[in-house]
Amino acid sequence: MAPSLCLYIYSGLNQQRDVRLRYNNILGLWRTVVSVHSGILEDRAVMVVLSEIWLLFALFEFSAAIYEDQVGKFDWRRQYVGKPRFAHFDTPTQNARKLMVTTENNVIASLNLRNGEIIWRQVDKQGPEGNVDLMLFHGQDALTVSGRGRLLRSWDMNIGGLNWEILLEPGSFQTGSLVGSAEGVKYIAILKKASISLHYLTNGHQKWSEALPESEKVQYQLLYSSGSGAVYLVGMVAGSHLVVIRYDIEDGKIIEQVTVSAPWIRRLWDLCGIVADGILTCIDRESHSLWILPLESEHEPEQILLQSLELELPEKFEGKILTTQSSPLVASSAQFCLQLSESHYALLQLHEGVVTLLRDFVQAVLVSFATTGDKVVTAVMTAKNKTAFGINLYSAENGRRLLDTAMNFNLDPNCGQPEQLYIHAFLKKDDSVGYRALVQTLDHALIFIQQPGRIVWTREEALAEVITMEMVDLPLTGTQAELEGEFGKKADGPMAMFMKRLSSQLILLQAWTSQLLKMFYDARKPRSHSKNEITIENLARDEFNLQKMMVMVTASGKLFGIDSSSGTILWKQYFENVKPGSSFKLAVQRTTAHFPHPPQCTLIIKDKETRLSSLHVFNPIFGKRSQINPPVLTRPILQSLLLPIMDQDYAKVLLLIDDEHKVTVFPSSRNILQQLQDSAPVIFFYLVDPVWGKLNGFRLHKDLRTEEIWEVVIPTETQKIVIVKGKRSNEHVHSQGRVMGDRSVLYKYLNPNLLAVVTESVDTHHERTFICVYLIDGVTGRIIHESVQRKARGPVYVVHSENWVVYQYWNTKSRRNEMTVLELYEGTEQYNSTAFSSLDRPFSPIIFQQSYIFPSAISLVEATITDKGITSRHLLIGLHSGGILSLPKAFLDPRRPEVPSEQSREENLIPYAPELPIRSEWYINYNQSVSRVRGIYTAPSGLESTCLVVVYGLDIFQTRVYPSKQFDVLKDDYDYVLISSVLFGLVFTTMITKRLAQVKLLNRAWR
Amino acid sequence: MALALEVLVVSRLLCFLLVLRLGAGSEAEGVGEKFKIEGRAVVPGVRPQDWIHTARVLVEGEEHVGFFKTDGTFTVNDVPSGSYVVEIVSPAYRFEPVRVDITSKGKIRARHVNYLKASEVIRLPYPIQIKSTGPPPYFLKRETWGWTDFLMNPMVMMMILPLLIILLLPKVVNTNDPDMRREMEQSMNMLNPNHELPDVSEFMTRLFSSKSSKSGSGSKAGKSGVLKRRYVLFRHDRAVIYVYRHFLFDSEPQTMLDYNGFQDNL
Repeated sequence: MAPSLCLYIYSGLNQQRDVRLRYNNILGLWRTVVSVHSGILEDRAVMVVLSEIWLLFALFEFSAAIYEDQVGKFDWRRQYVGKPRFAHFDTPTQNARKLMVTTENNVIASLNLRNGEIIWRQVDKQGPEGNVDLMLFHGQDALTVSGRGRLLRSWDMNIGGLNWEILLEPGSFQTGSLVGSAEGVKYIAILKKASISLHYLTNGHQKWSEALPESEKVQYQLLYSSGSGAVYLVGMVAGSHLVVIRYDIEDGKIIEQVTVSAPWIRRLWDLCGIVADGILTCIDRESHSLWILPLESEHEPEQILLQSLELELPEKFEGKILTTQSSPLVASSAQFCLQLSESHYALLQLHEGVVTLLRDFVQAVLVSFATTGDKVVTAVMTAKNKTAFGINLYSAENGRRLLDTAMNFNLDPNCGQPEQLYIHAFLKKDDSVGYRALVQTLDHALIFIQQPGRIVWTREEALAEVITMEMVDLPLTGTQAELEGEFGKKADGPMAMFMKRLSSQLILLQAWTSQLLKMFYDARKPRSHSKNEITIENLARDEFNLQKMMVMVTASGKLFGIDSSSGTILWKQYFENVKPGSSFKLAVQRTTAHFPHPPQCTLIIKDKETRLSSLHVFNPIFGKRSQINPPVLTRPILQSLLLPIMDQDYAKVLLLIDDEHKVTVFPSSRNILQQLQDSAPVIFFYLVDPVWGKLNGFRLHKDLRTEEIWEVVIPTETQKIVIVKGKRSNEHVHSQGRVMGDRSVLYKYLNPNLLAVVTESVDTHHERTFICVYLIDGVTGRIIHESVQRKARGPVYVVHSENWVVYQYWNTKSRRNEMTVLELYEGTEQYNSTAFSSLDRPFSPIIFQQSYIFPSAISLVEATITDKGITSRHLLIGLHSGGILSLPKAFLDPRRPEVPSEQSREENLIPYAPELPIRSEWYINYNQSVSRVRGIYTAPSGLESTCLVVVYGLDIFQTRVYPSKQFDVLKDDYDYVLISSVLFGLVFTTMITKRLAQVKLLNRAWR
Repeated sequence: MALALEVLVVSRLLCFLLVLRLGAGSEAEGVGEKFKIEGRAVVPGVRPQDWIHTARVLVEGEEHVGFFKTDGTFTVNDVPSGSYVVEIVSPAYRFEPVRVDITSKGKIRARHVNYLKASEVIRLPYPIQIKSTGPPPYFLKRETWGWTDFLMNPMVMMMILPLLIILLLPKVVNTNDPDMRREMEQSMNMLNPNHELPDVSEFMTRLFSSKSSKSGSGSKAGKSGVLKRRYVLFRHDRAVIYVYRHFLFDSEPQTMLDYNGFQDNL
């Protein structure tokens, strides 16, 4: 199989022409039209004007837009910034309003301290090029170094715009600091691997830049200045010596260069710090001692044993040093903190060469310094138990505890442990120190606490990195469940059934009257009171199943249950042992439809390094872990399948295939195994190996063995597999075919086992690059179609649904984004209209293909889905601008004619136009832009016309879309007043005219 | 034809394109100098500090990102030579995208974006100057109910106009004029060209009236005839309007008995 396929691919590449199939309406014949691929789009430029006029009329039919008064009615957006890397409070006074943060997600943002909302936010490029390496503050300006030390930016914290931006010289970034001189803080020093440069704070211009001596050997990592007109630079050669260089601020000349032998040195950045007036203090982990070296004089470093300070050292000493400098104009504080172990800190003081212990913090979780005015304080966080924490302030000068500074607070038990502590200290009116604390936890939550322990706000920044999600129906209310249960039970005889019916009707009536009464009482109450909060207790399915539970899995390992109608977080669950970079898969094993049984979700977590997976079973409505014990997986899982087979508790079966192609069944009751044995011959699955470019198909035997039945090899020397996409299992297709202009039916090729495999060329040269789309039957491994797009490059985005595949790529020749649609049809006759079998398909489908220009870059594509598939489909396209475009699928119809004919008009085909339109009415999220879209989740609702959409990325946006308008429910602007007034008016006039007619008749009779 | 066009363009811009191709080649290899794209964006009537915190400059998707300075200018750094679409994205204001070409020597020009004919050049000033075209129309307008809407409704017009004409026309036209009457009859014949073919309305009226008027007096039959004509009038009301217009404009005094009879019946 493999060699023949290779040949096939190569022959595909060598073809100079693109073969398109087109249906000829007049002749009623299939014929192959060969046209030169590159010229297709250009040739049609003339057609555009003509067809666009037609388009204007056609467009009225496609409406995805909303009305202005519907803003926020059924949509909501939550904005996030990500896990903070640097945080800073704007002023050290009590009325500070802002918090500046830069995050791991390359976001620079200003948060409102009162409510935690975003004041402004700037999102930089993804990846290391947008990474913020450093943030410093000077007055109302924030200085950031980003892109591995490439860009130096100065932000105006009030406006959210740049003051200036300059390019730094290339070189790996080490550190940077503000430099104080006699005239104040005027410069910023940037230290790179091989150079140091000084820039003006007012405009970013470079004052001077100097190459570092012996930079290939010496690692320079520390910068220090204290307003004395000089910049100190400390470098080291591990295990050998230290280099201290003093630069003149004015001209960058080296004033002094000292080399000190230091065989104990390992690294500088967390083991060394500058304390007091320019004294380098380093930890020696091996000899459990401190080394002290004044930067200015040529002394030999002095060793101080930690034992001499009466400090208890742990077995494995992993010390770290924490220093503080309140301003670059003054010397570092003489006090510093030493972390001896995970929960043991010591506050030390260096005075005239003597180190003294000020205070020993034995049970401390986190320690942080803060400065207000001329006071330096140390904040120490201690843990009382797993959820209760306390913060105390200590004066750094003498180590005494400050009065009235205790803060006690409780964290959510489903929350991670504190990871970082930011203290906003300020002087109160009576000159005592007050403070507020920002606690960052391991699950990326930000908690802002005020004295005496009141949590002001919490931001769940884990939601900035949602990996996957599912929507689960809410449970029925008690009465609804009673009604539902009536149908499930076995019949006891007609009389009993009738009585049950009556009683349940009675219950319904009772519920309705109580609801009416409640409404009546609520109406009398003031509005603010009656607005009932949604809590886990009063969750119930609504009439049209529009409100659902969103289960979101985030990269930090925290799960959220969010109410889809309001965006309220109803439950959260944190998995502590999830390593960063793990991949997740969520499967809904049991929905809420099986009333006495609780719904059940299974989360498969796959560790990146060990490749081992673990299963977590939980209830998606309440977020509680289930009592069921999932199987322990000892081998890496390659594929998981959710089968439609149910056990006696109505839980769907999850099949897990490991790297030895062995199958694990969960749940694995006797009943399930029996059912599996019966249905084993129809269970097939596939595995993808992108490294070797292999796709393998397997079948399941009765004894749960697996057997490989096909293999497709894609030559890895020319192509790599980037996407393999099947169809959604919950998708329904309502119409089996399309009625053509001549009243014949074109039947769709609806193969549920079809896979769309996209490969990109390894060669990325703009002349030779190509992408390839294979349509492969997942059961038989048969390649149903293969199409090559020459001079095209990824990233490719694919939507695979019904009988069509839409993919988007970058055309390197014309430098634009293009979209291609492939549609598969069986022809005018159906081979087997009752059931589809991949094994019995003698005829290959007819394939239509058409390409379009998409006039914008795309970050994601997804298709809408509805309950029964009657509603027309729209494509939801996430754009880099933050807009989510709802493009009617009718625009991506390969049968769009170049010249409209009578028949094509009858079919409502839009004449072909090369460029797809983008209209601002089609943005489903209007001005609520969603940054960095990572996923679009669509779910059907109880209404056929309505599709629920959740867009997640840095932000989360939820809305409803009506691809064919709301045809099954009265619109929300339905004018009840007008209709009823017209009705009453008509009745009234009828009555009057009747009377008048009677009078007239009477008069005539008298005449 | 497209080929000829391309040849033409190429001959005109030969050197620029060649340089560009070279530039693109070096981009693929990952070496080559980096350049910066500069420009300024203006929203008429709005100060830069009020809109720049939500705006960004995107070069070819998110390949390169630039931020605005507080005066509304922007710089996108580290862009290798090539051709790029520069977009200013802001949820509140709409800006037209601009294509920027950078040669391998660092020569930069800006031009209109034309995805169809990528080689067409309509120059724009560089550094880029973009003026916002206002807020994007995200929302549909609600249909509001008003009397004018109601009156301008074609159905309503169709009902009211004939009514007016029927009421007013006898007062304008002298219906006793024989010429007029003849013409009127002719036009009526035109409306009902085939006399043999049973009219649907007539058929329906017969069907329904047959039960009630089984005894069938002569006067009733006559009435049903009149009724039939009234149906015709309403059924072909458009055509009738046309006919009346015709009368109004070549108005020769005519008489029309039938018409009068019809009016009496109303």
